[in-house]
Amino acid sequence: MTNQRSIVHMDLDTFFVSCERLLDSKLIGKPVLIGGTSDRGVVASCSYETRRFGIHSAMPMRMAKQLCPEAIVLRGNSGIYTKFSNSVTEIIKESVPLYEKSSIDEFYMDLTGMDKFFGCLQLASQIRSRIIKETGLPISFGLSINKTVSKIATGEAKPNNQIQIPMGNEKPFLSPLSVKKIPMVGNVTYKAMCDLGIKHIHTIQKMPMEMMYKVFGKNGISIWKKANGIDNSPVVQYHERKSISTERTFDKDTTDVHKLKSIIIAMAENLAYQLRRGNKLTACITFKIRYSDFQTYTQQKRIPYSAADHHIIPVVLGLYNKLYQRRLLVRLIGVKFSHLVEGGHQIDLFEDDDKTISLYQALDKMRERYGDRAVIRASGMSAKSISRWNPFNGEPPPLLANRRS
Amino acid sequence: MKFIVSSTYLLKQLQVLGGVINSSNTLPILDNFLFELDHTKLIVSASDLETTMASTLDVESDSSGSVAIPARLLLDTLKTFPEQPLTFVVEDNNTIEISSNHGKYALAYASGEEFPKAVVLEDPSKTIVTGDILATAISKTIFAAGNDDLRPVMSGVFFQFSTEGLTFVATDAHKLVKYSRADVTASQVAEFIMPKKPLNLLKGILAASEEDVTIEYNESNAKFTFENSELICRLIDGKYPNYEAVIPKENPNKLVIDRTQFLNSVRRVSIFSNKTTHQIRLKIAGAELNISAEDIDYSNKAEERLTCDYQGDDMQIGFNSRFLTEMLNNLSADDVQLEMSLPNRAGILTPVDGLDEGEQITMLVMPVMLNN
Repeated sequence: MTNQRSIVHMDLDTFFVSCERLLDSKLIGKPVLIGGTSDRGVVASCSYETRRFGIHSAMPMRMAKQLCPEAIVLRGNSGIYTKFSNSVTEIIKESVPLYEKSSIDEFYMDLTGMDKFFGCLQLASQIRSRIIKETGLPISFGLSINKTVSKIATGEAKPNNQIQIPMGNEKPFLSPLSVKKIPMVGNVTYKAMCDLGIKHIHTIQKMPMEMMYKVFGKNGISIWKKANGIDNSPVVQYHERKSISTERTFDKDTTDVHKLKSIIIAMAENLAYQLRRGNKLTACITFKIRYSDFQTYTQQKRIPYSAADHHIIPVVLGLYNKLYQRRLLVRLIGVKFSHLVEGGHQIDLFEDDDKTISLYQALDKMRERYGDRAVIRASGMSAKSISRWNPFNGEPPPLLANRRS
Repeated sequence: MKFIVSSTYLLKQLQVLGGVINSSNTLPILDNFLFELDHTKLIVSASDLETTMASTLDVESDSSGSVAIPARLLLDTLKTFPEQPLTFVVEDNNTIEISSNHGKYALAYASGEEFPKAVVLEDPSKTIVTGDILATAISKTIFAAGNDDLRPVMSGVFFQFSTEGLTFVATDAHKLVKYSRADVTASQVAEFIMPKKPLNLLKGILAASEEDVTIEYNESNAKFTFENSELICRLIDGKYPNYEAVIPKENPNKLVIDRTQFLNSVRRVSIFSNKTTHQIRLKIAGAELNISAEDIDYSNKAEERLTCDYQGDDMQIGFNSRFLTEMLNNLSADDVQLEMSLPNRAGILTPVDGLDEGEQITMLVMPVMLNN
């Protein structure tokens, strides 16, 4: 009996682009970019044709357009992508005992023990071809003993292919790859590693773990483990959300305090509604501000558990007033609620009265029926484009702002 | 300065006084007991600046003087002695020497002059209450007082004295207890907010005491005198919220139930509720009370059904189970009544039986909003 697991990581290739191509066949074979079309927008997804020009996701759209002027740029529609993503989820749900949807286009599946009946690789290939056949979306997968190795393997398999790392071959598979392929190593860490002469994973594999700890701290240890193909994290079907947040980058940096305030109120109001809809309470509110020079400041405050607008909005505005001190243009603002717990609002004897409580219930009922924007505060009305989605249905967020692929 | 005192007698008094002393003090002198000797009368005091308590002891002596002795050290030493006379002698080298049957112990002392003087109440009003009535009033209410530094008035118990009776109120804005006595009256109307710490001390000392307690009070301080002790404390400054206004008058839904049965069910079910919010749901239909709780994060769930006496519309209401257990625990009645109007308005818990003549207890608990 071995305790080795079989984990598959499946990733839809250039997911948003593939969806758009299904809807409009003219896009096939052409360079396509999807993402924010404004000056501040970033590339959310790009077709393989554009990658030749050096374009990658999370790159500023303006730069991408300069690199490949002939690319077709689309704004994207998260609703449609969610639908496609759900039909893929359905297929996976039917076929495997345990899966985890880690983002809109990525899935982990635990096939441990399936060898007895089907053969893991065979089963994974079957699922893959079924997805391709039924949804028309290209998908790649990597199969190995844990999540990290499978994810890296998927990256190597792409586009539209599959790869299996035979058990015991994890280290040799990883060793020639760039350290950048390790999930968790972003631009900053990569630079730091390059400065130390660590370019390939085999260098980390030869290093003692203590050395990584000294240089990179705790993260160093997990990077070292990943580089050595060690990852014991389980495939978890449902992630309880630890926080909910929303943020907004302005098309043009602003100092318009009325606009800022209006957006902050709209954000706080919407998040508080999401809390109540999910029967949750928050105990920690964070406010974030980024100035035009990219200096980012955050401040947080603990509050008694609450999901009531009249408790939360003043706290958010208070944090904003405290934090907005520099006389500089503002690039981004964000609001986050964390320390979430399950539960309803504890009514206060002196501060709440029947009217307030009934008001919230009526407002929420209207929103439930006619949509999030059915009733909103007049002071938050000018904020039209903040994201409003239900964070508590177990689905990953529809669009990730800065995703790496 | 020299005196002889029985070890257990002294220890008993000092242990009570020790409750006043904070574990960490900004003023080092407050870590001491103040011993003021005037021949056979020894007054020992302890203080945390807010509360000062003093007891008078009878000792054998023919001298006088005042010293401050380290409280912790003295208490730890006294605890170890069996009953025996102890001789305290103040030496010249700033130490006080204790002689027992077993040996000698020297403690460094500070001058009694350094110890902060207790406040003298100016122009006080006066009311006399029996010790155990005061102790009961405190223990029935104090658990409902809050801990919120932002709302200091709610961290104490509100004393309302009038010619018709005495009323004690405590609330933390989520639950409220009002305890009234019509059988004890004051000569004039007075209202003040007592902080929790001295009340807890009084509760401990006065429980089951038949002795009269003299309460003197003015705008800023209150003084409790009983037996050989007195306790002076600063009152909480501020206006107590208008609690009468939030007690709902019309409560058409009335539930009468066995207290122990209700309490045990709530306790059991609440084990399965969310560990942070402790929320439970009461569903009442006909003569059946359904108590349920769920912790979605861990997939824990419980449900119990009790028979009760109910008049009113079928309803569902959510409560923090902590509040309910605290309140039910604090009552001694066999049956309790829970009056409700709407799921977003306060529930009123009252004992049906077991009250003394002239005694009245009203408990209020605010619900949590349920999402159906």
